Amino acid sequence: MSDGRILVVDDTQFNRRLLVRLLEDLGHTTAEAENGRLALESLRAEGAERVDLVLLDLEMPEMDGHETLAALKADEALRDIPVIVVTGVDELESVVRCIRMGAADYLPKSVDPEILRARIEASLAQKRMRDNERELTATIERQRSQLARFLSPQVAALVSSADGEALLAGHRREITAMFTDLRNFTSFSETAEPEEVLGFLRAYHSVMGALIVEHEGTLEHFAGDGFMTFFNDPVLQPDHAARAIRLAIAMRERFATLSADWRRRGYVLEIGIGIATGYATLGRIGFEGRYDYGAIGNAIILASRLSGDAAAGEILVAARTFAEAEEVDSDLVAEPGGDRTLKGFSRAIPTFLISGTRVEAGSEHVAAEGATT
Amino acid sequence: MTLDPEAMTRLLDITGGDQAFVDELIDTFIEDATTQIDALRAAASTGDPEAIVRPAHSLKSNAANVGATELGEMARALEADGRTGAVPGMDARVASVDTEFGAVRDALLAERAAR
Repeated sequence: MSDGRILVVDDTQFNRRLLVRLLEDLGHTTAEAENGRLALESLRAEGAERVDLVLLDLEMPEMDGHETLAALKADEALRDIPVIVVTGVDELESVVRCIRMGAADYLPKSVDPEILRARIEASLAQKRMRDNERELTATIERQRSQLARFLSPQVAALVSSADGEALLAGHRREITAMFTDLRNFTSFSETAEPEEVLGFLRAYHSVMGALIVEHEGTLEHFAGDGFMTFFNDPVLQPDHAARAIRLAIAMRERFATLSADWRRRGYVLEIGIGIATGYATLGRIGFEGRYDYGAIGNAIILASRLSGDAAAGEILVAARTFAEAEEVDSDLVAEPGGDRTLKGFSRAIPTFLISGTRVEAGSEHVAAEGATT
Repeated sequence: MTLDPEAMTRLLDITGGDQAFVDELIDTFIEDATTQIDALRAAASTGDPEAIVRPAHSLKSNAANVGATELGEMARALEADGRTGAVPGMDARVASVDTEFGAVRDALLAERAAR
């Protein structure tokens, strides 16, 4: 193991030339500096990644070894470069000081090539390990941020976390699931130009996506005009029911602005949202090569059926969900939505229709009513 | 004058017997030591004991490199006194350093000429 890049800092030309010669005999490449100030200048100019090791003399004019070492260790970009101090026999107490200051090792001035080789290889090996570690960390960070663009931020964080594997393997938890989809979307997509449909979807996804992130929902999937979002997993959210309803209100509000523009162009698009709370099994779903973080359970089916049953502009919520939400968020306003008979559910499901929040309940309600007409 | 032949043997040994390179090192020593002794003289002429420390230190390690034991010892003593802030007989001592260095240089060059 050889070919490190080594900076030799010594004010004595004799020492520099001899060290450079010995280092080159060992297969390293070298650079020289006459004192600490020049060494720091060249390190800062060339960048820390150009130098693997510094051999530092202690007694030098302008900026001596101690000052140089202190400056190196105080510099975020340079502090990881190992420094070996080169000392005379009468400077041993300085060596202790230097090692306390962060020097990797020391070498006696009347240098023995074998000792030089051993100490330099040890320091370079450490440096390489640190470099690899840093590279690995950078790769993981890059993957994590790339992952976050494809997955919900919560799921991306989960994948990179220590207990991620256990959670991904599958677990049961109470969640609040929310289905959002559009009324008239099929006829819209049949009559509008494909470019228009895509343009609309892009705007719709970006607006709704931002709201989901803002409310810290976990987006399970979106397909065309539909979204499935859930709360309380993988990150625990004690107020998951209220969060889902708050998100639905925000979505309906934003959608009103978005669709007003389209209404002027003759396309009437309406949003319908269903929300239900219950236990689900969550984790990795799919097959090797393509997995999703998914949720399976009655609550999800119920949310989907409620969304299908909701009229244009309605937020239809299972009574149990509204009861839970109301406990933690008394500003939520709803009216009874009746007992709904839904496909796959043998008993009718009591529901509520969300009007809005107390502060803006009036306007919310008007917006909702406006959307239905 | 003292010149420990061990030092030369060692330099040759660690450079794989590269006599030309060792000769270059000797030239470097002469060059550096000349500068350092100039600095010592300048310090002596202003009577500044602090100013003697660095050149004396460098001369000491330079002298050790070529086996100039006596020169190294004289430089070491100057450095040590300089650090205490008082160098008794500074002028005379710097002058004898100069004399010793001249003898070392002549011996080194003579050894090369004799090869």
